[in-house]
Amino acid sequence: MYAEYIIKRFFYSFLAFFISISITFSILHLMPGDYIHYLAPYLAEVNPEASELFRHQFGLDKPIIEQYFIYIYNVFHGNWGYSFQYRVPVLKIISEKLYWTLIILLPSTFLSIVIGIFMGAHFGWRSGTKKDLSVLNVMIFIRAIPSYWWAIMLILVFGFYFNLFPLGGFISISALELGINYLDVLHHAILPIFTLTLCSIPGIYYLMRNSMLLTVGEDYIITARAKGLEERNVLRKHALKNAMLPMITMITLECAHMITGSIFIETIFSWPGLGLLTFNAILARDLFLLQGIFLICTLIIIIANFIADLSYLYIDPRIKVGESA
Amino acid sequence: MLRKKTFAIGICILVAFSIIAIFSPLLTPYDPYKIIETPLEKPNKNHVLGTNALGQDIFSRLIYGTRATLLIGFIGALVSISIGTFVGTVSGYYGGKIDEFITRAIDIIMTIPMFPLLLVLSIFLTPNMLGISVLMGILGWAGFSRIIRSQVLSLSEYNFIYSVRAMGARDPYIMAKHILPNILPLVVVKFVFAAQNYMLMGVGLGFLGLGDPSMIDWGQMINCAYTNGGFALGMWWWLLPPGLSIAFLSIAVSLVGYSFEDEINPRLRRMVS
Repeated sequence: MYAEYIIKRFFYSFLAFFISISITFSILHLMPGDYIHYLAPYLAEVNPEASELFRHQFGLDKPIIEQYFIYIYNVFHGNWGYSFQYRVPVLKIISEKLYWTLIILLPSTFLSIVIGIFMGAHFGWRSGTKKDLSVLNVMIFIRAIPSYWWAIMLILVFGFYFNLFPLGGFISISALELGINYLDVLHHAILPIFTLTLCSIPGIYYLMRNSMLLTVGEDYIITARAKGLEERNVLRKHALKNAMLPMITMITLECAHMITGSIFIETIFSWPGLGLLTFNAILARDLFLLQGIFLICTLIIIIANFIADLSYLYIDPRIKVGESA
Repeated sequence: MLRKKTFAIGICILVAFSIIAIFSPLLTPYDPYKIIETPLEKPNKNHVLGTNALGQDIFSRLIYGTRATLLIGFIGALVSISIGTFVGTVSGYYGGKIDEFITRAIDIIMTIPMFPLLLVLSIFLTPNMLGISVLMGILGWAGFSRIIRSQVLSLSEYNFIYSVRAMGARDPYIMAKHILPNILPLVVVKFVFAAQNYMLMGVGLGFLGLGDPSMIDWGQMINCAYTNGGFALGMWWWLLPPGLSIAFLSIAVSLVGYSFEDEINPRLRRMVS
């Protein structure tokens, strides 16, 4: 029965992936304006041959339907096309940039989930106290201010006035002679990590707190208390596990969103990751690179959803197999 | 008690911002588009916040920027909440094959990375401000319609819906007259948060340099100050005011949103107040 459920989910994920990349393919190919036009606005009029050659090189002169089938075929064979700007395979650039994005994303995702869940559980359990309300207000405040503004303020205060951290980039200029030093990279990564963490804590905290509020009112908590269990045990053994359930979907969504959410942070900190790559690719109208970026984002979202579906199977036995989650 | 107070404060700030937006021509000392003074003037008697790199009065531009931000938030939220409510209600009310189809479609739509797509569309299509807000609304309704669907799903099992149906009422009538009023509080809360989200996103687009260049908005002001060296020169009066304005406005909107959410969710309210 489980196997059937897993196969079904897998099939749906695959179908979703296929339809999703088809939609992004259509949108990107229907957009007016192209790379060559952006690079040299009047080239097509002055030198139509060069423009033709470019279109021929990248297969853009073929009918759109043919391009679509070539694209789909290539995607499943690991060939995601070549970037116009960098003239190297898209997959290579993306994997290189993904590495840098993960350097700031992994710590900040981990930290914000841990801190968010801890604070949400702690204050949700003691809701209504003065401390709880003031923390709630602080969180509302943090969440209301956009991430790019936090980033600018942090650079201004810690980078510019106190001179504690660099204003941007990922390594110092000395790396040209000395090579990449990990401490140096860490020094550059601290502010972006801090900003990303700060901006994602409130969302997780708020959901966890609400989930806890709902759990506290459940009958089994009253039963546990009536049995004479210690308050700490009621929280740990009865409330926490159940309140954590809705967090799984939240966390997977959060992982998916952080990749796109890092566009602002990476642009402001000039961090050479996927977010900055996306922004530059959009500005340059680098069609195949954009396709690749959408592809990797979609893939990550779908894998995250798939993992969430599977983990519910083990964590929450109440979920009926075969029902859509 | 506390929540009522924060609600009132939030509403007051919002009203103040709206008045500024509506009467901006009367409140600004100078034409925000006109080059009137030497560039990069420090704050002085004539120019409260000095002038920018082009010699335009920063204070006047700040006042005018309120319009764009409020409009983007309002229109974006209106579009996405309307679509989301409609799709969610239809899906949850009819159930069966229609519901299955819509749910699957939303699952697929949710896998498309929306923010990069918004950036792509706003750079390729170069829409004006209205276009940007509608675009944001169109891209952002999916998650909201899921929430509405689950509400409507449980609502349509209530006895009063059955009895109205037994009396021979048509489906569109039931949805409009009996389902909608019951989900309205939730819709309003989501509208407030969506408006906040789209305001921040609109300013963010401006900040990335993808806004409507014919409009004055705070995002483009921050971008202009940031890229023209307002930052490195330490000209805080150029960089800070637009950012603080959007932060202040956003906090006001969330005060309204959270107080309202507590109000309609009795379980949360009992714990909080």
